[in-house]
Amino acid sequence: MAESEKPKIGIFSLTGCGGDQLMILNMEPVLLELLSRFDIKDFQEGSSYKEEGELDIALVEGSVSTKTDLERLKEIRERSKMLIAIGDCAISGCVQAMRNGQMSMAERMKKVYGVDEDYYDVLEPKGLSSYVKVDLEIPGCPIEKDEILHAITSLLHGDMPEGIDYPVCVECKLNGYPCVLVEKGMPCLGPLITAGCNARCPGLGLDCIGCRGPIPEEANVAAEVKVLLEKGYDEKYIFNRLRFFGGNFEDVQNLTKKFSEKTEKEEEE
Amino acid sequence: MKRVIEVEELTRVEGHGRIEVVIEGTEVKDVKMAIFEGPRFFEAFIESVHYEKVPDIMRRICAICTASHSLASIRTIENAFDVKVTEQTKILRDLLIHGEMIESHALHVFMLALPDFLGFSDAIRMASKYPKEVKAALQLKHAGNMVHNIVSGREVHGMNERVGGFSKVPSEKELKDIRTAMVATKPTAELAVKLFAEAEIPNYAESENTLMALDPGEKFGFMGDYVLVSDGARHPVQDYLSLTNERTVKHSHAKFSSYKGSSYMVGALPRILLNKDKLEGTAAELYNEHKDLLTSKNTLMNNLAQAIELVHSVDRCIEDIDILLSNGLKDEGLVEVEPKASRGVGAVEAPRGILYHDYIFDENGCIVKANVITPTAQNAANMEKDYRVAAERMIKEPDEKLVEAFEIIARAYDPCISCSVHLTRIR
Repeated sequence: MAESEKPKIGIFSLTGCGGDQLMILNMEPVLLELLSRFDIKDFQEGSSYKEEGELDIALVEGSVSTKTDLERLKEIRERSKMLIAIGDCAISGCVQAMRNGQMSMAERMKKVYGVDEDYYDVLEPKGLSSYVKVDLEIPGCPIEKDEILHAITSLLHGDMPEGIDYPVCVECKLNGYPCVLVEKGMPCLGPLITAGCNARCPGLGLDCIGCRGPIPEEANVAAEVKVLLEKGYDEKYIFNRLRFFGGNFEDVQNLTKKFSEKTEKEEEE
Repeated sequence: MKRVIEVEELTRVEGHGRIEVVIEGTEVKDVKMAIFEGPRFFEAFIESVHYEKVPDIMRRICAICTASHSLASIRTIENAFDVKVTEQTKILRDLLIHGEMIESHALHVFMLALPDFLGFSDAIRMASKYPKEVKAALQLKHAGNMVHNIVSGREVHGMNERVGGFSKVPSEKELKDIRTAMVATKPTAELAVKLFAEAEIPNYAESENTLMALDPGEKFGFMGDYVLVSDGARHPVQDYLSLTNERTVKHSHAKFSSYKGSSYMVGALPRILLNKDKLEGTAAELYNEHKDLLTSKNTLMNNLAQAIELVHSVDRCIEDIDILLSNGLKDEGLVEVEPKASRGVGAVEAPRGILYHDYIFDENGCIVKANVITPTAQNAANMEKDYRVAAERMIKEPDEKLVEAFEIIARAYDPCISCSVHLTRIR
């Protein structure tokens, strides 16, 4: 295919660990073949080549955590026909959103840098869709190689890939793993969390920590909290746990708020 | 006349950084490396989290050195609670950190640094002229990632290494598969040494450097409880605050470090130079062959030092696997942990240098305070020193020559900027 006919792509990162771009680079056996299908216009982590202008696809990882991030995101949106959020940071803010609604940015700045809030241009970490239109979201911390490869090849063929709307438990059962929540009493978040990882953690005898984020509009957080309370975990532990990857989810925020109001009331009494 | 020379955004590095050098007349007035990656405040949000899941969160500081963070975190917790792990766990952890070194160094050496010296903007374009070499480099990186996958559970942000041991012990077959990949790809690691030894590595940043690395014990490696300094000092890792002396600066989201009032370097070059007598086999031979190039004055030789470490790490993975297989793999489960109100400090050599974690726990084993000091934050001041030296030496050269030099210097340190932006001090 001539260079001019290839889809123009840009790979960008805002605030995060760089893990989703790295997962693309980690596709070693197919990497060169895959990248050769695109005309790469911007890939800061992998190349010093850069070209302005319209993009067919922008892959964006990382959360919006600074005003600079937000400006960059708006620029990327403006020049891209399709904007794809890759990874939890770009979808929901991931771990850095853990204390959203719980701890102010001023307090975070004071604790970590010992300076006032306006010392740097920080914003409360959020996913891209809080600010711009996002055409597709690929979850994970990090993203799964198979899923991104499937999404990219679908797009190359002109199809829109479909998201997953069932929990980790489905894949866990299909693999025949023993349920670590029911049988071992481990604080597994599998019932709430979007599948697609092939239940990797239960397969290793571990409980799901939720790194693919709650299933949008499906996760029953209150029911999970009830089960974990019955298993003997205290509320502080449970809410910390739900917040690892759920700090920006409304249900998690509302339940945490109720819990902290209750604790404050008890402390006053 | 005032000249402002700017590298607007560093490329082929992990994360977002900018360099600005101000020259007035014949004098370099100001040198700044601004790290504008957004801060993430790990030490603030980890408070009150129960120790058992702390490594799962802290490893997310960085993708490319995820296992270094997880192992530093685990060692810190185990130090706080006096946990003693089994011999098998120690060897599996050693295998994991050597695998990480391969994955990270192969990416940096071949994909990020080498294009500078062969005249390409990236490895994909480099592959058009050097297809065999780029493919071999990807195979080497893949071998490192096999270790991540099999020992840790996946390439990025694995979960199998835990406080007290490993949740699931790899099978004999899986370890043999890694061994086969390592044996097959060792020539590529040696090729990396050859390429950098033959490349014309510039000397425009040559100047005095203080070096720091962990003392790995008897053999060359990446874990230890003491810090070696090139001035001859040796300190327990618990003394890290007086070794790093961090301060907040307005122009960067990363704090800056100093030792006895001046900047210092951590990373592959310091490790090789401070622990050269502990190298063995092919890595020792290659060091001896190229020791004239490897001086503490030229930080750009960090690339060559990384290449030698690649060879070392491939050999060490094979050795670790042979020991594990001859001992026989045992499903040991995790060692019992009794949390208590306590403080722990732990360190590992991440691919880019010494990484410290420091936690204070309450009696239930929940975090009260945490502090993390990353290698790139420690190197930031030394990088600025090198830009200044190069700018002074090249003051008559046109701006684009200086920009190129600054970028090459920055890449030699293999900065991991995501890592560097969330630091605090325990008061």
